[in-house]
Amino acid sequence: MSYLELSGLQKRYRDSVAVDDVSLSVEQGEAVALLGPSGCGKTTTLRMLAGLVDPDRGAIRLDGAEITRLPAHKRNMGYVFQSYALFPHLSVARNVGFGLEERGVGKPEIARQVEEALALVRLAGLDQRRPRELSGGQQQRVALARSLVIRPSVLLLDESLSNLDAKLRDTMRHEIRSIQRSLGITTLFVTHDQVEALTMCDRIAVMDRGRIAQIGSAEDIYERPATRFVASFVGRSNVLPATRDAEGRAVLWGETLPVAVPASGEFDLFVRPQRMRILPVSEPVSPGMARVHGRVLRSVFVGDHVEVLIEGVGGQLTVEMQSGSAAPAEGTEVAVAWPLSDTLPFAREAA
Amino acid sequence: MTGSTRLNLLVLPAVLFLLAVYVWPTLGLFRNAFNEVGPTGAMVEAWSLKTGAEVFADGFTFELTLNSLWLSLTSTLIALVLSYPVSLFLFRTNSRFRGLLAVIAIMPMLISGVVRVFGWLAILGDRGLVNTLAQSLGLISTPMRLVFNWTGVTIGLAESIMPYMILALLAGFGQLDRTLEEASRSLGATPFRTFLRVTLPLSLPALALAAGLGFVLSMSAYITPKLLGGGRVFVLATEIFEQATTNTNWPVAAMLAIYTLGLLLLLLAISNIAARRLQR
Repeated sequence: MSYLELSGLQKRYRDSVAVDDVSLSVEQGEAVALLGPSGCGKTTTLRMLAGLVDPDRGAIRLDGAEITRLPAHKRNMGYVFQSYALFPHLSVARNVGFGLEERGVGKPEIARQVEEALALVRLAGLDQRRPRELSGGQQQRVALARSLVIRPSVLLLDESLSNLDAKLRDTMRHEIRSIQRSLGITTLFVTHDQVEALTMCDRIAVMDRGRIAQIGSAEDIYERPATRFVASFVGRSNVLPATRDAEGRAVLWGETLPVAVPASGEFDLFVRPQRMRILPVSEPVSPGMARVHGRVLRSVFVGDHVEVLIEGVGGQLTVEMQSGSAAPAEGTEVAVAWPLSDTLPFAREAA
Repeated sequence: MTGSTRLNLLVLPAVLFLLAVYVWPTLGLFRNAFNEVGPTGAMVEAWSLKTGAEVFADGFTFELTLNSLWLSLTSTLIALVLSYPVSLFLFRTNSRFRGLLAVIAIMPMLISGVVRVFGWLAILGDRGLVNTLAQSLGLISTPMRLVFNWTGVTIGLAESIMPYMILALLAGFGQLDRTLEEASRSLGATPFRTFLRVTLPLSLPALALAAGLGFVLSMSAYITPKLLGGGRVFVLATEIFEQATTNTNWPVAAMLAIYTLGLLLLLLAISNIAARRLQR
């Protein structure tokens, strides 16, 4: 049995289902991201873990013991809130020491551990400040230190980086990840930001409408999305409407592609733009490749890459080229090729 | 014309109105306080401190002051203890009846003070609800004296200032955030410890604000001490009214009124400083 087990968790509100059926196993020391759009139930799942929301159904087991109905203050979970939730009336030191005081730890020991925790998040010397005297990034570190100092069974991070500016977010991402690794602390990280999920966690659970759509490594999720939702939520994809020929093969823009397609119903082919390459019309492609023809509509320089928009008989698609390579001129007739293995067919959902 | 000048003009009617119905009469009051009362009992125009000396040499003024302060203190504390949980509930509830509950809580404010006093008479009187119930349960043999004394006035006054205090508390709860309580609980504090360490400290500015307001309202209350006191409860407000109407001694009434006003301003200043300290 895993260190942390969620099984069949459900939470309904008056007229909506926040979490429908979530089961998840997390090993000790593992970092797992709950990734999904807002309203997918990821925060509610986290709150159920912390004991801040009572599940209607299902069970939570921690280290073999059932904690489903245990009140929040007996759970020993370190919860870092999106708004940080620092106590405005207490100094940084007393904020960080709050949990230790509640555990009846002696004053000298609290002082020692608080100092250590503040050093860990690189805030040494700011212990007498009030939270509002700190910058957003510093507040974030205090919140993290406050949750770490109690040596939580599980560290729960709720969109903890979303209030920081892009640059700081990047720094904090790496810092939190390295602290998490060095302390070997089991972590659940709720986010709607896929970069955060991909870079900070060992495994990612993509959530969709109160359920886990797919769980796996960053690579699994990105390369082998299990559902149409995962494919469209994680990373960018060309969504290409295709048809089926008499032998059940996919037909895209007049070209037959030997990829497995759904037996019935309408479907689209998902292809990542950076897996596509632009070739001269005359150049042949090797067997394992798909190839269609089109005309260059325009190219957009986006810094580290160039996006080339191509129009063909069946619609448009975007190819991502590395910048530096010469983009074909607008109006040029070209061929677009990509590995057949990178072509993912998904049935179109009933509207 | 700049935008801010135009905005300033918008307050002009209000300023003029206040000048006419508040500032001017208050100045008149000041003027009266330095007039004298002639041998016939008629007011004599003067600029003397005779009335002032008379008022402050009288031990009764001191007694009235203590009575007023004590009455205001007790009713404010009672009202504060009762209003705090109500406001806390209203502040936090997600109930769809929240609006309705808030209206019910401040409803007494919409009822005339006189009507409210008669309500209390029906409840607290010798043959009122409380006494009838206690007697029929055999708890007491003779009715308790709950009205026409300090007890009745304190109860009535506490109730009458509660709606104002509930509103003041709701307005002052700005810093109070559910997430902070959740953070406290997630850090291992029991609900009671969370209340002591987070909820209560963060409510202190609101409590100070509400207490200040309640105290000022109690000090200036007239109807409740007069009617529920049954002529046995003497406070500054009742005395001012007595002097002005029954004795038609305008200078003494004016002097007492100014004295009370000064007292209130002093108390407000103290409560303001306290609230600002607590906010920090």
